[in-house]
Formats: sequence, structure tokens, C-alpha cells
Amino acid sequence: MSTTVKAYVEQLLDEGKIKGFLGLREENGHIMPHLFCSPEDLVHMSLGDNTRPGDARYPLNQLLITLAAKYPDDTFAVLVRGCDERGLKELFKWEQLREEKVIPVGIGCPDELAKACECEKPFPEALIEGPQGQKVDSEKVAHVDGMDLETRLEFWLGEFDRCIKCFGCRNVCPMCFCNECALQEESLVGTGKIPPDNPTFHLTRAVHMVGRCIDCGLCEEACPADIPLRTLYKKVADIVHEAFGYRTGYEPDKKSPFNIIGGL
Amino acid sequence: MEFKSVLTTCPYCGCGCGLLLEVLDGKLVGTLPSKTSRANEGKLCIKGWTVHEFVTNSKRLTQPMVRRNGTLEEASWDEALSLAAGRLAEIKEKYGPDSIAMLTSAKCTNEENYLLQKFCRAAIGTNNIDHCARL
Amino acid sequence: MAQKRMTFLQKLMSFSGIDPDRLRLRWVSSADASAFVDEISQFTEDLKKMGPNPLKAKEAA
Repeated sequence: MSTTVKAYVEQLLDEGKIKGFLGLREENGHIMPHLFCSPEDLVHMSLGDNTRPGDARYPLNQLLITLAAKYPDDTFAVLVRGCDERGLKELFKWEQLREEKVIPVGIGCPDELAKACECEKPFPEALIEGPQGQKVDSEKVAHVDGMDLETRLEFWLGEFDRCIKCFGCRNVCPMCFCNECALQEESLVGTGKIPPDNPTFHLTRAVHMVGRCIDCGLCEEACPADIPLRTLYKKVADIVHEAFGYRTGYEPDKKSPFNIIGGL
Repeated sequence: MEFKSVLTTCPYCGCGCGLLLEVLDGKLVGTLPSKTSRANEGKLCIKGWTVHEFVTNSKRLTQPMVRRNGTLEEASWDEALSLAAGRLAEIKEKYGPDSIAMLTSAKCTNEENYLLQKFCRAAIGTNNIDHCARL
Repeated sequence: MAQKRMTFLQKLMSFSGIDPDRLRLRWVSSADASAFVDEISQFTEDLKKMGPNPLKAKEAA
């Protein structure tokens, strides 16, 4: 499947257009992030499919920020799915990456993955290989919306109760780049207890996902307690869309509503 | 220029979560859970997530330290080992082997734990060996 | 900006199972002390009618 991607990246490297391709490497049955700097190395390339499509995805954009910070004058290519491209569009606006220094190498997600993710757009514009999948509506959000107020509270408090404050959701998030995180601020979230302030911890994170969350699902995959984080953050995106007409990761010229003083 | 992930096992507890150390030009820049490791399936606890922090921490000991007149001072391996062996022998002689106890750790390998309990039971001669997991 | 945050927060509270009416935004001039007092008094009354916050009970449990 990855022959087109491989050929494309090989060309970019041969033509000297990029210093390296930030993608995934497979070795001894394990898949992990890797910077490919030579075409010969590409034989180990993986697209992040271990036993099921997309089950070995990593926050490549996050790693790219670290790479670009050390090598700001070099151009890199990066493996992107639909969600990652949404991430790039926002990161350019947040000035964590420079658009002229990033070449996205896009892959489309198969139906199985799109359905599991309930993805709005399971393929990037810069599509090199893979299908242009269909949008999938979220049933999980609708399910919670269908509950009454009391049941909803019961539901969420129960889910958040299992939280062990591992910070996995925040650590793995490709859009979280703050040097000082509100969740570690003692005046906002109490320290020294598990589960952390319920529901303050998770609602605080949810508020910070406004204009930031690209619905990649890495947070939910990293949660050892199987908390339905995506359902919460998807609702955040819905509210922002309904109330402010803003969709995260689609408009290169419009800033997130919480990033602009004034305006409604 | 080199950026790679190094697959390793978390040193903290007996779970043995697979984690990836992110290395940029030979320097540790971050930690990620290994999605393909069966023990943890892409998840980590807070200790595993912060492995890269302690590895590069400036407070890590680089030299043995000996307490002289109440203050910890840098010493040579020979001095430190001689002091430890000498004092343990003295205490064993004066107060008996059961006056000494040893505490080992999940951070050690099975082999290191085996060695310590062997030292405790055979060399010191006491059963006072325990483990941090029991605290 | 505050209006944006409030609008968003009330909807998020509702989704999380907390009555959005427990959060209220009002603009009052610092020179208009009586209006401020009226607003707070009214809000206090309204909150009392809503009953104790369910989160309080969970905290105690």
C-alpha cells in the first residue's frame, strides 16, 4: 500500500527538497516515530497499521515542533492523515510551525478507521495515497445529548472517577504545546489526590480544547482508564461551531474564537 | 541530524510497560508509550510518561557521596565501598546480623534483587530483606 | 471575550450534567452599587431555589 508514499518521499529526498521525512518505522514488529533522512532507510517505513488500520499512530506534529525548533531553517516532510493536516493548519496559525518549512505527505483512512473515529474528514487535502473517505456522524455525542441533566452528571462523574492523573491525554496531544499547563497549576486544580478534582480537571482540559482539538483520538487511546474523552471534546467542537461558526483545522486565515479579544 | 525512537521498558515497576524514548541528535527529548507493546497497549502512568525527565536531571548522582561531619561530600568508589563494607561488618559484629535490614526496589532488575537478598541472607546472615512495593 | 467564554461554558456545563443557569453573566458599572446589589441578591435567590449543587453531594460522598 505504501508504494506511492514511498516513491513520493524518495523523490523529495533525492531532489533535496527536504532534510528528512518524519514518519513511522517498523522494526521487529514494533512501530515507532522516525526521521528518514535517506531513501535506503525507507524500506522500514510504516503507515501506522499494526493489527488494525491506524492502531499504531503517534503525535508526529508534536515531534515535528521539537525538530523544527532545533532546525528552523530546514524543510521537513511529515506523514499526515486527515486529522494531522487539521493539526498542521492550526499549528501554523499558532506559530508553532512554519508552513513553508513543512511538506505534508497525506494518507487517507479506510472506512473501518473512519467509523471507529467517527471522523469528520478522514483524509487530508494533500492526499498522496489512500481513500477519500466519507464523513461519519458521531453517535457517542448524540447518546449523551439524549440523556437528561441528572443522568449526564452521573455519567461523567462516573467516567472521570477512574482518572489516575497520568496526564497521558495531555502528553500525547499533538496540539498541546504550552510551556506551563493549567492542569498543573495548583490554584486551578488541586494536587495530591486521585482522581483529580472531579469534574474540574477534565472540564478544564475540555475548555482548553477549544480551537485546538483536531479529533485525532490519541488522547482516548492513551487513557489507561478508558475515559470517553473524544466524546467530550467532540461536543466542545460542536458547541464552538454552533456558537461561533468556527471549525478547528479548516480555515487557514481565521483564528480560534478564544484567541481573539472581542467579536462574538 | 538524527531523530529516532528507542524502544525500552519502563524502569519503575513490575508492569514492564513498553515505552519509546525520543532521541534527537543523541539527546533525550521525550517519552511516548509504545503502541505495539502488549503489556501496556499504548498507555502509561505518570511515572512512565516522565522517564526522560529523570534521565537528564541535573540532580542525578555522578559520583559516590560520603557524609563527613554531617555534610554529604563527593568521594571515590573505593572510599565509599570501604566505608559501607567496614561499617556493616562493625555493626554485625557488635549488634548481630539481625540488627541490619535491607530494602530493595521494583526499579532494580530481577537479577539485582536476587543479588541483594543473597547478600543479605548469606553475607550478612539475616532474613530482614524487604521491598519498596510492600510499603 | 467573556461573553464568548460564558456562552461556551454554559453549553459545556449542560453537556456535563450541570445546570447552566448556575452560571450567570451580567454587566454592571462599578459606579452603580445598587444595581450590583440587586443582581447578586436576585442570583442568590434563584440559586437557592435550584437547591444545592449536586457536585457538593458527590464531594461529600
